[in-house]
Amino acid sequence: MAETKTITLELFRYHPETDSEPRFQSYEVPYDEDWVVLDAINWIKDYVDGSVTHRWSCRMGVCGSCGMMVNGEPKLTCAAFLKNYYPFPIKVEPLVNFPVERDLVVDMEGFMDKLQDVKPYIIRDDVNDTSEGEYLQTPAELAQYKQYSMCINCMLCYSACPVVGHEDDFLGPAALALGHRYNKDSRDQGQSERLEVMLRSEAMWGCTFVGECTVVCPKHVDPAGAIQQAKAMGAQEYFKRFVMPKGAGATKGAGA
Amino acid sequence: MSGGQYHRPHRRAWFMERPAYIRFMIREVTSFFMAAYLIVLIVTLAKVGVGEAAAAEWLQALSTTGWKVAHAVALAATVWHTITFFAAVPQAMPIYIGEDRLPAPIAKIVMGYGPWLTATAVILWGVLR
Amino acid sequence: MSRGKSGRPTRPSGEAFWWALFSAGGVMAAIFVPAFILATGFLLPSGDPAAAAEGAQRLAALAGWWPVKLVLLGVITLSLFHCAHRIRHTLMDLGMRNLAGFLKLPCYGGALAGTVWLALVLWGI
Repeated sequence: MAETKTITLELFRYHPETDSEPRFQSYEVPYDEDWVVLDAINWIKDYVDGSVTHRWSCRMGVCGSCGMMVNGEPKLTCAAFLKNYYPFPIKVEPLVNFPVERDLVVDMEGFMDKLQDVKPYIIRDDVNDTSEGEYLQTPAELAQYKQYSMCINCMLCYSACPVVGHEDDFLGPAALALGHRYNKDSRDQGQSERLEVMLRSEAMWGCTFVGECTVVCPKHVDPAGAIQQAKAMGAQEYFKRFVMPKGAGATKGAGA
Repeated sequence: MSGGQYHRPHRRAWFMERPAYIRFMIREVTSFFMAAYLIVLIVTLAKVGVGEAAAAEWLQALSTTGWKVAHAVALAATVWHTITFFAAVPQAMPIYIGEDRLPAPIAKIVMGYGPWLTATAVILWGVLR
Repeated sequence: MSRGKSGRPTRPSGEAFWWALFSAGGVMAAIFVPAFILATGFLLPSGDPAAAAEGAQRLAALAGWWPVKLVLLGVITLSLFHCAHRIRHTLMDLGMRNLAGFLKLPCYGGALAGTVWLALVLWGI
């Protein structure tokens, strides 16, 4: 009878009540080639060590909760198959560039804050009455922003971006891509309000186009491309305001 | 100290962590070599301003091995700048034809390699004719 | 710089201006500078005095023509600002973030000095 194959998972452990420093703990997990890293962590939590703390929900690459560093790479653990690592041990850490709350769970507060800064929703000056129907959009208009609307806020791009790591004022790939998504939406009228935020010193200009955000994105959003387009849009807005200082391009008082 | 969040230490040598970061740094550093060449180019033009004799003397000095090597390094750095810059063009300046985005290879040729080769041919023709 | 409750700046900055020069300079440098290096680094220089004199003549004839002067001024100036911006951000990425403001002086100041020098040189040809 064949012996059950196993694979080693080294989990980053940190419990704020008892630990002053993080440590790594190794677990032997039964190896199944259909399993992903998230299955292995769930198995550890269910059968070996209930104190392991991690976030997950949908298990199918939609919710964006299970992002972690897998052997140093930001990954959705629900999409990282054990067979791609077997027979070598897998080191799992919380996403870098975020404070660690507990074990594999990071603090998302700063990210949520930056997301709100770009006003990721449709802004209208004139709101049509519902009896007038929807704001119509052609397929060509949809194509302008559709790619950037696929973001699931998994924050992998924040872990791949070195600028996020050393510049607190930088809004980061996902937030900027989402801001750009609304700026490119033909139904939206909030462009100058958003650019007001994006034009701040390092908010967007801190990006030096390393491009790794786009490489790690599980939804092919291409935040790197979106940010360069947003910079070009921002530069146009800047010169427009320079030429026409009062309310240039601004349909409403820019920013609060 | 316990009871709070854990902040991982700042990584000073972050650019060594991933091959992509090293490639990024190489791309950024091309600008140092380009800047150095631009200064030499202005010196060359300044010599022309002084007179043809001074310019001839300077062009003779530039033919030494040291200067050739320096120019070869600057050329390699600048060509790398060109290649990496054009690689970014389809992402940074997407062109839409209706619902479809112009495919990246075509965008690179239309907005990058085409103009580059044309300009290079015109300049070399101007210098060599 | 005034900062909001998030600790981030609350007002637009002039970064857009420098980025615009960087961006335009990147295009100019990509398209023109390799050919410039081929010309002034390899094709025109020569160890033979007669050939060097002929090279100088060609260069003087070219650089003396005003459309060429305009191209040289545009390409070199924008490329200088491209380099200045990229060098500044590289130094910031390498850990000199606290000097972000100060670095503008040597970087953009240097590019501006190069522009003035170049303009004077071209004026004199």
